[in-house]
Amino acid sequence: MAAGRHDTYVEAADVSKVYRSGTAHAVEAVSSVSFAVPQGQFVAILGPSGCGKSTLLMMVGGLEPLTSGRIAVGGTPMTGPRTSIGIMFQDSTLLPWKSALDNALFPIRVLRRPLVSYRAAARDLLQRVGLDGFEHKKPHELSGGMRQRVAICRALIYDPELLLMDEPFSALDAITRDEMNELLLDLWQQYTRTALFVTHSIREAVLLADRVLVMTRRPATIVEDLAIPFARPRAVAIGESREFNEICGHLRRRIEESHFGEHGGAAPARELVG
Amino acid sequence: MSVNSPAALRFVVSPLRSQARFTWPSPRRLRPILLPAATAAALLAVWQLVVAGLAIPAVILPPPGAVAGELWHSLPLLVANAVPTTRDTLLAFGIATLLGVGIAVVLAYSPLLRDTLYPNLIAFQLVPKVALAPLFVVWLGVGSVSHVAFAAFVSFFPILISTALGLASVEPSALRLCRALTASEWQCFVAVRFPFALPAIFSGMKVAMTMATIGVIIAEFISSKAGLGYYVLFASSRMETANVFAALFMLCAVGVALFGAVALAEALVRRAYGRR
Repeated sequence: MAAGRHDTYVEAADVSKVYRSGTAHAVEAVSSVSFAVPQGQFVAILGPSGCGKSTLLMMVGGLEPLTSGRIAVGGTPMTGPRTSIGIMFQDSTLLPWKSALDNALFPIRVLRRPLVSYRAAARDLLQRVGLDGFEHKKPHELSGGMRQRVAICRALIYDPELLLMDEPFSALDAITRDEMNELLLDLWQQYTRTALFVTHSIREAVLLADRVLVMTRRPATIVEDLAIPFARPRAVAIGESREFNEICGHLRRRIEESHFGEHGGAAPARELVG
Repeated sequence: MSVNSPAALRFVVSPLRSQARFTWPSPRRLRPILLPAATAAALLAVWQLVVAGLAIPAVILPPPGAVAGELWHSLPLLVANAVPTTRDTLLAFGIATLLGVGIAVVLAYSPLLRDTLYPNLIAFQLVPKVALAPLFVVWLGVGSVSHVAFAAFVSFFPILISTALGLASVEPSALRLCRALTASEWQCFVAVRFPFALPAIFSGMKVAMTMATIGVIIAEFISSKAGLGYYVLFASSRMETANVFAALFMLCAVGVALFGAVALAEALVRRAYGRR
């Protein structure tokens, strides 16, 4: 690693994405977004559904081409997917015929690295996310939260420099989601990497991230860049503090303001709860 | 009687106890065997009664007893004729599977070829292919080659169609994962696409095995010097109706065995690649 701890690791400059560009039905999903993420920072991208935050994440991961602008990760411009990046999707995307352990080891198989030298690491990761004794269970024998835990292990097994998470817990029930937040918080304390975490939950963003970028629908761009002051290691209990709730309130107002512009003073963003 | 009741429990074969001491399986467990067997026996009994009661001449419909006698009597000849039929069916099925899966894979990876060929293949599938059987004899002559070719021709469509569907049914998110991991197309095919398509491929293969059997019989009807199709035609031309039925039973046994082989292969693959 040539870059120091405070050097920029992810840089997006004037990034835009237009679907069906050049036609009458052109949709601007992302509109000239710029931001820079220093190495080791956990950044949440917060916004309502359909604001283009997932598209932005996929562009950072090299899975979606840019219409204009530039994205660089680790100093090199993105041209396609890279093995220095780990990705978690909204659903766990586990292969249904593979055990938890084999699913966690799937990247190692694809990258043609020696499986034997990673098996212990995979077991250790599964144990750390609380899946002790579930190594040989198939996905259908695991709950939704457990499947997402396997997906975390799968994203971490090949030791990526950058972790991209696309609403990884949004399909889970509220209680499981809280558990997963706590798990990720703990995991992050032992396993610090640069991370981009897309979510539509304000509390989740504030709890997990060092910094929150707020994205809105029209224009599909970043309207707020807020540093979260809580020191690490953090505990879930900070969610009950006054400061935490003030930050959440501030973010909620920022999102609502941009929605007033869109709906001409209509109802506030309903999906932005909890 | 519930399986969980104490009386029933004694009869349930548990995997641990059955090795130590034989216990009778419960009626509930034997049901999938007993019920169809009883139905078949009942049908045979009705057949026997109808033939005897209405005094139907044996040349029109022989009683099951006469068929059984003929089956026993002609067994060596029937087995000798079952060999080419079985061999040709297996060959045709193998060729159809390779061809069907192969073409489906090519179509899945080439949008150009898919758009060019797929509508034509579907349209061609609507042609009553049985009507083309005589042409195969004209092209390939009397004998196994034309039988295998015709049977492969009629049975490869179901495999092609179901494999194409199966390959298209892969979860898009799984493909995205492959891309994110910089997997090659080949890796993605082997690790994700093909396993996802397996259930559909097998359902196509089961249809194809039946079609291949029918294809070989039809080809044998048209021109042959051996085989169960030939045997049926020969026996019916001599009005040996009981012999025809004996050949049909033989054919049935061959068909069940071949279909069973595919079903068994499916069960084994499901154990390795099943979703549950």
